[in-house]
This record gives sequence, structure tokens and C-alpha cells, in this order.
Amino acid sequence: MNRARLALGAMLAAALAATVVLGAFAPAEAQKRGGTLTIVRPTDPVSLDPQLETTAPGAWVYFNMLEPLLTMDEKMQIRPALATGYEVLSPTKVRFKLRPGVKFHDGTPLNAAAVKFTFDRALRGNPPARWASLAGSLSGAEVVDDLTVDVTTREPYGPILRTLAMYCTGIVSPTAVQKMGEGFSRAPVGTGPFKFVEWKTNTHVILERNPDYWGDKAPLDRVIFKVVPEEGARMIALQTGDADMVLLPAPAQLPALAKDPKFVIHEVVGGRVVFAGMNAATPPLDDVRVRSALLHAVDRKAILDNILEGSAVPARGVLAPSVFGFKDMQLDRLYPFDRAKAKALLAQAGWTPGPDGILQKGGQKLSLSWLAARGRYPKDGEITEAIQAMFKDVGVEAKVQFLEWATVFTQFRSASFNHQMFTLGWVTSNADADYSLYALFHSRQVPPTGWNTSRYANPKVDTLVEQARRNMNQTEREKLYGETQDILAREMVWIPVYNTKEIVVTRANVKGFTVHPVEYNLWLGKTWLDK
Amino acid sequence: MLTFVVRRLLLAVPVLLGVVFVVMLTVELIPGDAVALMLGEHATPEAVARLRDYLGLDKPLCVRYAGYVARVVRGDLGRSIQQNRPVADELADAWPATLELTCAALVIAAIAGVAAGVVSAVWPHSLFDGIARVGSLFGLSMPVFWTGLVLIVVFALWLPWLPVGGAGSPAHLVLPAVTLALPSLAMVARMTRSSVLEVLREDYVRTARAKGVAEGLVVAKHALRNAAIPILTLLGLQAGQLMGGAVLTETVFSWPGLGRLMVKAIFARDYVLLQGAVLVFALAFVVINLAVDLAYGALDPRIARQG
Repeated sequence: MNRARLALGAMLAAALAATVVLGAFAPAEAQKRGGTLTIVRPTDPVSLDPQLETTAPGAWVYFNMLEPLLTMDEKMQIRPALATGYEVLSPTKVRFKLRPGVKFHDGTPLNAAAVKFTFDRALRGNPPARWASLAGSLSGAEVVDDLTVDVTTREPYGPILRTLAMYCTGIVSPTAVQKMGEGFSRAPVGTGPFKFVEWKTNTHVILERNPDYWGDKAPLDRVIFKVVPEEGARMIALQTGDADMVLLPAPAQLPALAKDPKFVIHEVVGGRVVFAGMNAATPPLDDVRVRSALLHAVDRKAILDNILEGSAVPARGVLAPSVFGFKDMQLDRLYPFDRAKAKALLAQAGWTPGPDGILQKGGQKLSLSWLAARGRYPKDGEITEAIQAMFKDVGVEAKVQFLEWATVFTQFRSASFNHQMFTLGWVTSNADADYSLYALFHSRQVPPTGWNTSRYANPKVDTLVEQARRNMNQTEREKLYGETQDILAREMVWIPVYNTKEIVVTRANVKGFTVHPVEYNLWLGKTWLDK
Repeated sequence: MLTFVVRRLLLAVPVLLGVVFVVMLTVELIPGDAVALMLGEHATPEAVARLRDYLGLDKPLCVRYAGYVARVVRGDLGRSIQQNRPVADELADAWPATLELTCAALVIAAIAGVAAGVVSAVWPHSLFDGIARVGSLFGLSMPVFWTGLVLIVVFALWLPWLPVGGAGSPAHLVLPAVTLALPSLAMVARMTRSSVLEVLREDYVRTARAKGVAEGLVVAKHALRNAAIPILTLLGLQAGQLMGGAVLTETVFSWPGLGRLMVKAIFARDYVLLQGAVLVFALAFVVINLAVDLAYGALDPRIARQG
């Protein structure tokens, strides 16, 4: 064998080895650059500034332009975003190290002063930000040096990290806010993978790729968010290709789309619990036996199977599984559907059947007045009616008043609530149990202060949630919340029905998209189009 | 003629003042707190009170009404409570779209309706007449959101000729305008048919035919001109209906107009924006009524002489 052949052989061997080695690292599908993603959803934002907008229509858009210090990934784990690390200095102060070299879309640098500016504007502005009420005890930020900022709270606040990972705490460019004034609300400037191009009111918002993004640059060139109020029209747009992604798709069409290879359904259990609430302050629902009986009277599985048709999952407690501190209350074990048991409990509580089949005690009928809205949450009206019928089967009469959501909302928020039952949904905005358990079940959080519409009062629960709120040790907090949910399970003031599923439908050529349990976190930074 | 126009325009002022008052009163009476709705479910009562104070919503109704009228007279329509943007800007974005849609629908309803009605009247009880009458019933009865979606499925999905929704090109206008026009078209066709049929029985038509005037001219010049009055009244009324119906059509076709804006304002209790939108509609009504009255004068010299 001559030397040339040897050399060739060696080169080929090396080339082969290199291919094998590189092949192991090659991605399964090559990401393609470019393209425009068209998204359709029902409503136009009110504003693109978290200062003025915390609801989904705006959040979906600005989530890709404004970034908070921390973020929650799809597994609800906290990850660094604009902050690379943190250190708890004291129960009321957390020090964050900022990522160096990050620029806002207008070219100005991200620094501690910008963080301080964002929080001051939100918490101390006139009026304060819409998200200030979601921030708990957050009180502000102090500049230590350009890349170090201390975030302070008014009192020890365990949920601080999750609060700072909320979609609405994105850091804004102080230069832009000062230059644009009110115009900022319609053209925000942040650090995200996309930047603002245009907003035609009630029609569309256009974003384009930020080529100077600090992280992996977005594969897409542009994103267009279009407004299509009619659900049927949204689904047709998806089919004709006018839209690549539909937010809030029609649940009835999902089974058909699931079988169609041209479309992909992305779903994950979300953060909202929809439930029938009981007013525990006044008879007859102040009696825990009556409340337990009502829980036994409801066939939750039948409701899920027949009314919700796969667009939701059964609720496993008063919190959603994606919330930190969630404990499965094992409702099917504690309160299985059992009409005989329900009737027995009611008899124990002194209620006997009257001449018309409705239970009565001391001349009083067991008649509950129920306030609900229709269409605020998926199938809320239908569920209310179903439970009403199930109550009738055990001799409990429920008189339902259906009013418009704005009216119902006002009644829920008022200090005196004249109904015994109500239908409501609750989403844990910062994915931390404190947010819900404190506002919903602490005895001093009765409306209008908080959201304890059930007027539930248990001093032990009060102590537990207060302790958990002030504790900075996350493991201990989890234990305290576990205990709280155990107590709540024994004295249930809710009939939890379902957890919403966050469902997004896309055309099959949309890749790199994962739906997030928090509905506002619509991340498009890794999405690409396979043309 | 000029005094007539000026007098009618001046009369519009109390109408508009009254409209604003009724809207304000209605919003006041409907339960539902704009501020609490805006801040959402998680707002503290202090935040709600602070925002209410900032927006001046704690003042009594009469004070707010007087303040509003004073500002409108100076051309300031206020700021949208929800959007924190001048109402005038919001309306300016939306009303041309509604105007475009309503005009297109009115033109379609007028031309197609009159044409169908005339043909039906000239050949009564024919096959065309039968189809037209059944078609009218259909057009009058079917709700806009149903016909709209059916048209989208047929012309955007099965036959990909037209876009699904939104605005931008003449192609985008076709489906919404046709959908909106259908009920009016049906009514105009029926009205035209009966009106022309009636006129064709009149003596002067018999005279014209006896004189030897061509049938086409009889219909076009003598019959139609006299039948026009009730048709015109109907079209004027329909213009109002169309503006109202635009709300549903705009929703189905994602047409960025005033109707959709109004619905958004109602749900959010954004009464400042709502009043601005209602004012625009009321003004449009006034102008349309005036135009119809002037047209009467042009069509029927007897009315013009009475002034």
C-alpha cells in the first residue's frame, strides 16, 4: 500500500468519524429561519403596557416583548431571565444579579436603574399599575450597582420569586417611557425576542424579530396577532390557512381536528379552577354536614364527560396542579358521588322531606339562592343547571339567578352577599398557593378586601396561611399549605368542578411551540415554520 | 331651501343632547362598576377607589353630564376609560370602516332590491316573482350571524375566492356587505314590488300606454318615479337598521368598525367611549333623515312646494 492510499484512507476514516460525532449532536429537524406566524384570537388588547393591561389579549402580545427578572418554564420551575442569579439577604430583601450586555429595543442598556424605574412606576405611579394588586407585598427595588438590584418587600413575603416571574412584571425601557409618555402603552419597548412594529386597533398587532436579542434569536421574522371575534370564523381561518395558530379554539371542533394530520392540538392543564361556591356564613350552609351532603350529591364525572366533552379535566382540589403548594384533595375518595349518603347527612342535620319532596326543617324549606353568570367560564351556565338538578334529586331546591358577568362581579365584590351559592372560576395568577389560599380562605379576606366570597373562617387556617406567606423557606411553605388543604378538605366550602385546559391549535407546519400552563405565557421565541 | 336645511340641522342639537343624556342615564342605571371591571378580579378596594377618583367617576350624574356637554361643544369627546386614549381617535379609527360597510350594503340593497322588485311587479306571478318572494322571506328571517358564517364557509373555505374576514381590500368588503344587505334587500324588493304594482294600475299609466309610450319608458319614467316615495322612506329607515345590524356583521367578519367598538365599550362599561360612538350614530341618523327629506322634495314637486 503506498502512502497516498494510506493518507486517503485516514482522511476517509476521519471524515466518517466526524460525521458520526456531529450526527449525534444534530437536531432531529433542522430549524428553518424566517416566515410570518399569523395568530387569531377573539379580542384586541386594551393596551400593550402591563401598567394598564393584565388580561390575556394584551399579555399574549407583550409577553414576547417585555421580560421579567425571572420566568417559569412549562414545568412551572423558576428559571433565570433578565436576572442570572439571586440571593436572599433578609426576609424582606432579595438581591438579583442582572445579565450583562442586554439592550432594550431602543438601544439603551438594561441596568438596575431600569428595574427600579419599572417597579416605582408600577407601585407608586398615579394611578398605580394594574398589576400592583397582584404583587402582594412587593414594595420596590434599590440600585446597588449597574448590574445588581435589591428587590424589597413590605413584610416577609415567601411568594416573592414567583411574583417576579409573572408575565406582567416585564422590565420596561425608562428612556422610552419618558420619551413616549402615553404613547408607550401602544408601542412598548422591552428586551424580548420580538419588538413592536404596528398596532391597528381592533384589527391586528404586528411584531418583528429582534436581531439583537441576548438569548437565542427567534427563528420567525414576524408575528401578526389578528382579531377575529367570531369563534366559527377563527376556525375557518385556520382551515383556509389565513391563520397559523388559533387561541381559544372552538371546543366542539377539537375531536375532528385531532384526527386531521394538517393540524396539531397543543394542550396542558391550566391554572384555573371553576367551582360552585357555598356561602358558609348563613344557614343552612353554615352546617358542615349540609355542605358535605351537597358534595356527595354532585356527580362530577358526569358533568366532565357530558358537558365539558374533554375540554377540561376534573378538579382535584381548590388549587390547580400547576400551582406551587398544590395538594390533591382526593375529592373522589372523600366525597364520592353517593345520593344515599347525601340524604343521610341531610337527615342527620335535621332536614326531613316535605310534601313536595323538598327537604324542610322547622317549617323552613331547604331552598338555596344561587347567583351565576353565563359564558364567563366555559359551560358555567350548563354546569350550574346540572348541579341544580342534582341537588333536586336529594331534595334540595336551588333557585338560580343568571345575570350578566359585570353585574355578578359587582355583587361578588360587595360586602354583603345575599346568595347561598355562586358559580366562579379562580386562576392563581402567580402560580403560588399564597395567592389563592390567602385571598380565598383567610377570615379577614371577605369582600371587598379579598375574595373569601364563601365567608369561610377557621383560625387554624388563618394562622397557617399567614405563616406560609411570611416564610422564605419554600419546603416549609409547601408543608404548611399541605396542612391547610387538609383542613379545607374536611370543611369544604366549594364544590370544585374542573380545571381548564390551555388549548392552542396550530397548523402542522408550526414547530417549536409548547403551550404553557399559565395562559398568559405565550412564548414564541422558539417557534418556527416548516414550509 | 337653505332655511329648511339650517332649521333641520339646528333641530338636531336637542336631539343629540337628549341622546347623550339617555345613554349616560342608562349606563348609570345598569349595575356594574366600570372601574372594578377594569382592574379585574384581583384589585384591592383602595386601588379601585383611587382609580375612580382619578377618572372623576365619583361625581353625580348631572355634574358629569354638564361637564361632558361643555367639553363636546369644544370638540373634546373625552378619553376612553379602558384604553386611556382620546375617544375621538378611537372613533376616527372605526367609523370610516362602518361607513364603508353600511354604504356598500345600502347600495346593494337599493339596486338589487329595486331591480328585483320592479321585475316582480312587471311580471307578477311569474317564476322569477315566486323565487323572489320566497327569497325575500328567507333574507328577512335568517339571522345575520348564520348567513354570514354560511357565506364564509361557501366562499372562503369550499371555494377559496374570498378572504375569511378583516378589512383591507375590496375583496374583504364583498361578503360582509352582502350579508348585511340581505334583510334590507328583501324588504326593499317586497316594498318595490307592491308599490310599483299599485302605481301601474293608476290612470296616468293607462294614459301613457294609450299614448303609445314604450313599456320600458312607462315603467322607468312614470311608474317608478311615483312609486319611489315609499321606497325612499324605506331606504331611509333601512339605513338606520343597517348601522345597527353592522354590529353583528362586524363581529362575524372581524370588520373593524364602530359597531364592534360599541359592544366592547358596553361590556367594559366604558361610558365615555360609548357616548362618543352613540353620538356618531345619532348624527348619522340626523343627516340621513335630512337627506331623505331633501330627496322627497326633488322627487315630488308637490312636497317641495309645501316646503
